[in-house]
Amino acid sequence: MTPNNICNMALIKGLDLIALTDHNSVRQIPAFAEAAEKCGIRALYGCELQTSEEVHVLGLFARAEDALSLQPWIDERMPGIPNRPDFFGNQLICDAEDRVTGTEERLLLVSLTADLDETIAAIHACGGAAVLAHVLDRENSVTNQLGFIPPALPYDGLEIKSTEEKQRILSSHPWIKEDGTVWLTDSDAHRLIAISEAEQALSEEMLSRLWGGRQ
Amino acid sequence: MTIDGLLEKTGWTLLNDGVDTNCEIEGAYCGDLLSWVMGNGMPGQAWITVQVHMNIVAVAQLREFSCILVADGANPPENVVAKAKEEGLPMIATGLPVFESAKKLIELGL
Repeated sequence: MTPNNICNMALIKGLDLIALTDHNSVRQIPAFAEAAEKCGIRALYGCELQTSEEVHVLGLFARAEDALSLQPWIDERMPGIPNRPDFFGNQLICDAEDRVTGTEERLLLVSLTADLDETIAAIHACGGAAVLAHVLDRENSVTNQLGFIPPALPYDGLEIKSTEEKQRILSSHPWIKEDGTVWLTDSDAHRLIAISEAEQALSEEMLSRLWGGRQ
Repeated sequence: MTIDGLLEKTGWTLLNDGVDTNCEIEGAYCGDLLSWVMGNGMPGQAWITVQVHMNIVAVAQLREFSCILVADGANPPENVVAKAKEEGLPMIATGLPVFESAKKLIELGL
């Protein structure tokens, strides 16, 4: 999944808006931003962070430089376990022409030494929106790891896979209001082939609600 | 065995002084995936975990656990300890890993 392959696949699929959210890293953002601009596709920038409770949280930023400002915070909280390419694959960094320019040596498939509250606060401090990722998944979701979405958790959106999931969340979480929540449905693609068709839509108004007053 | 008895025999630390520790422990449950614990815990059990997120208090109440045993030196934040105290739920810390903590409980006859 190189920057240009992602952007071009998104164009082929007719998508209007894409976001790059690598696990525990924003190092690929600059090249992705350049590729998206060249391809003429609208982009958001961010990452998918794994908290100490093994919950996945998306950090979404409207500006690439804001996303990049999160990297030092991430670096301080990486356990520094070396990657094992034979087991986990290579963690390559590309430039905007898809040429490999470097490698991330630290394993990215780890939990940061920051809990869910701290992680959301860090995303906010850099001007991002914190979206709880795939909230009903059997792995790395807030509901699986923590039993339920904590009331008063200051997330900005919930990522779901269907309207059926939305109903399940609403019926098990009486403190969550349908209209008061930004619901995001997206590809969550880990491979090119998983980038979806343009089946889901989000209004500009809903999108801007993600950042509240922060951007 | 009561929680008092457990504290006396193990020397483990009660994190929230002032809660009622004169209650029986009925077995134990080891688990760190809160969704799993929510589905499988039984009343009266001592819950051995390394999770320290605030949700553990709600889950313990839901399953009517007798106490939470935070193992392996895991460190619950103050607000979690305070919440447990508010709910009358004993929260005990041990430096022993989960397996050794469970072994200790078995040794003591649980």
